[in-house]
Amino acid sequence: MFNMQQAKIESNNGVLPLKHKQNFFSRIASLPLAGVAAAMVTIFIISCFLSEYFFTIYNMTIIARTLAFVGLITIGQSMLMLLGELDLSLGAIAGFCGVIGGILMVKVGLNPWVALCLCLLLGLICGLVNGLLVTTINLHSLVLTVGTSSIYGGVNLVATKGVAITGIPNEISFLGKGAPLGLPVPFIIMLFVLIIVAFIAVKTTFGRYIYSIGNNFQASKMLGIRVNLVRVCVFGLAGFLAALAGMLMVARLGTAQPSIGATWVMSPIAAAVIGGVATTGGVGSPIGAIFGAIIICVIENIIVLFGVSPYWQSVVSGSIVVLAISFDSISKRWLKNN
Amino acid sequence: MAFVEVRGITKTFHGITALKDLSLNIELGTVHVFAGENGAGKSTLIKALTGIMPIDNGTITIGGHNTENNKEAFDLISYVPQELSLFPNMTVAENLFMPFEKTGFSRAIVSKQSIQKEALKYIEKFNIHARPEQKINEIAISDQQLIQVARATTNKSFKVLILDEPTTSLTTNEIDRLFNIIKNLQNDGFAIVFVSHKLDEIFSLGTYVTVLRNGIMAGSSLLDKINQHDLVKMMSGEDVALDKSFQPDIEPQETVLSVKNLSGQCFKNISFELRRGEILGFAGLVGAGRSEIMQTIFGYLKADNGSIEYNSKPIKLGRPSHSIKSGIFYISEERKLHGILPMLSVRENIGISILDQITIAKTVMFGKERKLTKKIISDYDIITSSPEKKIVFLSGGNQQKVILGRTMACKPKILIFDEPTKGIDIKTKVEIYRIMKQLAEEGVSIILVSSEIAELRRCAGRILTIYHGSLSGEFITKDVDTKTLVGAILGSV
Repeated sequence: MFNMQQAKIESNNGVLPLKHKQNFFSRIASLPLAGVAAAMVTIFIISCFLSEYFFTIYNMTIIARTLAFVGLITIGQSMLMLLGELDLSLGAIAGFCGVIGGILMVKVGLNPWVALCLCLLLGLICGLVNGLLVTTINLHSLVLTVGTSSIYGGVNLVATKGVAITGIPNEISFLGKGAPLGLPVPFIIMLFVLIIVAFIAVKTTFGRYIYSIGNNFQASKMLGIRVNLVRVCVFGLAGFLAALAGMLMVARLGTAQPSIGATWVMSPIAAAVIGGVATTGGVGSPIGAIFGAIIICVIENIIVLFGVSPYWQSVVSGSIVVLAISFDSISKRWLKNN
Repeated sequence: MAFVEVRGITKTFHGITALKDLSLNIELGTVHVFAGENGAGKSTLIKALTGIMPIDNGTITIGGHNTENNKEAFDLISYVPQELSLFPNMTVAENLFMPFEKTGFSRAIVSKQSIQKEALKYIEKFNIHARPEQKINEIAISDQQLIQVARATTNKSFKVLILDEPTTSLTTNEIDRLFNIIKNLQNDGFAIVFVSHKLDEIFSLGTYVTVLRNGIMAGSSLLDKINQHDLVKMMSGEDVALDKSFQPDIEPQETVLSVKNLSGQCFKNISFELRRGEILGFAGLVGAGRSEIMQTIFGYLKADNGSIEYNSKPIKLGRPSHSIKSGIFYISEERKLHGILPMLSVRENIGISILDQITIAKTVMFGKERKLTKKIISDYDIITSSPEKKIVFLSGGNQQKVILGRTMACKPKILIFDEPTKGIDIKTKVEIYRIMKQLAEEGVSIILVSSEIAELRRCAGRILTIYHGSLSGEFITKDVDTKTLVGAILGSV
């Protein structure tokens, strides 16, 4: 019944890994950001056909400005997601810092630049508090920041009683309203921040630590990485960027509205996921996340231009986001099989 | 006709041939051993046999059914994976019979009493030290391993049981328990497929052996007809000395590390000295506290008490970064949990350890990184299609080589190896012994933690034994016999 061979030893020169021949398309498709970039370009082109007002300088400026605020939060959030953390209080930090800035400038009469710096510091501290609570007491960041989000948002309401603070000094208004060469200042700042953060993520020791921790927390500890220090620092960075977005919004509106940041929580997370950042950590990059943010901003813009009823807008934009994520996942599976 | 007939199966992944034109038979009432080095294609073959992974070419016939158009035939095969894959927060009984409809329980409602009653039968049959209502994470690892085997047999329709290296985290006693079970199943007319690296296990259990090498059949034979040497030759393609000693050829020199009264989680009052250029063996049962002691010395776990002096200077406890800076490195046995960064490339996995060497002002120089990682990949014979390949897609042995390579690149002064050859093929094993010997002769001090007495005898000049969290003996290898060592490990001295 058995193959009754003697212990037969076949000589074997080894099956060497064949260099897989790749055509141009599959090589492009295997680049890390190819999927999201293709989706972005596709949505952009479709939008050009859907509305003649879409690809105009005026409309592009609007998109760039929206993108600037969402983008700043997205950069911070995506760095946290690389660690496998989430901070749901970033929107609340933005609003909180914005109104404190308003109070310092208008009611206290502080020099606007000093007030601005103090508020950025405040944002940094809010983020650090989140990070310290997560690391020292070993809390789950998602749950903790639901709590701190209520605290920061609540203090905001206590300080303002829900009323906007008007009369923000003109010295800082160009930060929100200025647009040299048609590029809104917040957008320029966002790009600048993106370049720095992307450099940190990809090129520095600290960035490698972030990816390492997001991939395998225990192994990172074994490698001698001071994991908690890195985590606290990134929470601080995210808080700082949220405060920056909040202050730019105050400068843009000329008033410190308590509602600033209220809508900045979910779309940065969706943007990061669309851009290829895994919620489990360790995969993706802030640049991909910004691509995701661009997709979301373009979708929200074209829906308005196309004349979708305001009641339906969030249904439509939500559906497109779901489609975009599905497309990404399906295309990845397709690539894997081919 | 054999119960399982595999004819000419082929499988390629991303251009790498994992299996090539492979044919074999599996008979009921026999133990069929799959042997071969890491990456030889054993796991791929098992995945094909269990229907987890479709094959490119060839046919698999199980019980007379061609599996291509009859997927249910795969139900005749039960599979016990190498790593524990139980539900830790569910009870023993629930784990045994999950998913319930396949194990003869109702689809909708499952009564606790009925599964617990049924579970008792399996617990007795497999001699598991647990009660049906206990949670999995409350029982010993070895019993979890046995539950995993028992679970595979609760599938009512199975005829073939595949065990993928089931003994890696078991001690001698438990291995005996498992082997009795396997022999009973064999006598009851089931077919057992047993994957193993360990020669003594292969010969004591197997009826028939199939050896894979680089995805092709390197040989197959009845085990009565061959001896250990033939088998090793088949597995590695060359003669490997099985009993060569790898003890360093130099005398140990001055003391570099002295551990004094170290106590911590599950061990107490550990004191010993490590000298320069020696390989110090640490023997003990799984769970005796060996890994915990080593991880505490390294700073990964907190110490309750005690002190450690390195070159007569006290070192700060509880800080792996300090240990690494002073040249103390620990290579964990838990490669997945403590070693690799799964979704990063081989390059990044190596780079993370040698950041000092590849950065200028904390900025990574990619060119330098590529050059250094390429060198490590070729020096340590790491088989990967590209340095950019994600490390999860490498075989276990190659992952181990990445970890070894990146640690060596840091020029360690003291190296703690925790079961470095667990689940590793003979050729790589010997390679690791050779590296240890060479390092020791260059003046590195090595602590080798192992469950294999033979391994300790071959490599270590001095052996410490641990029983229940305390040191139970210190022996000079050449003056002690294996029986005394085993006695010390089992706590009978």
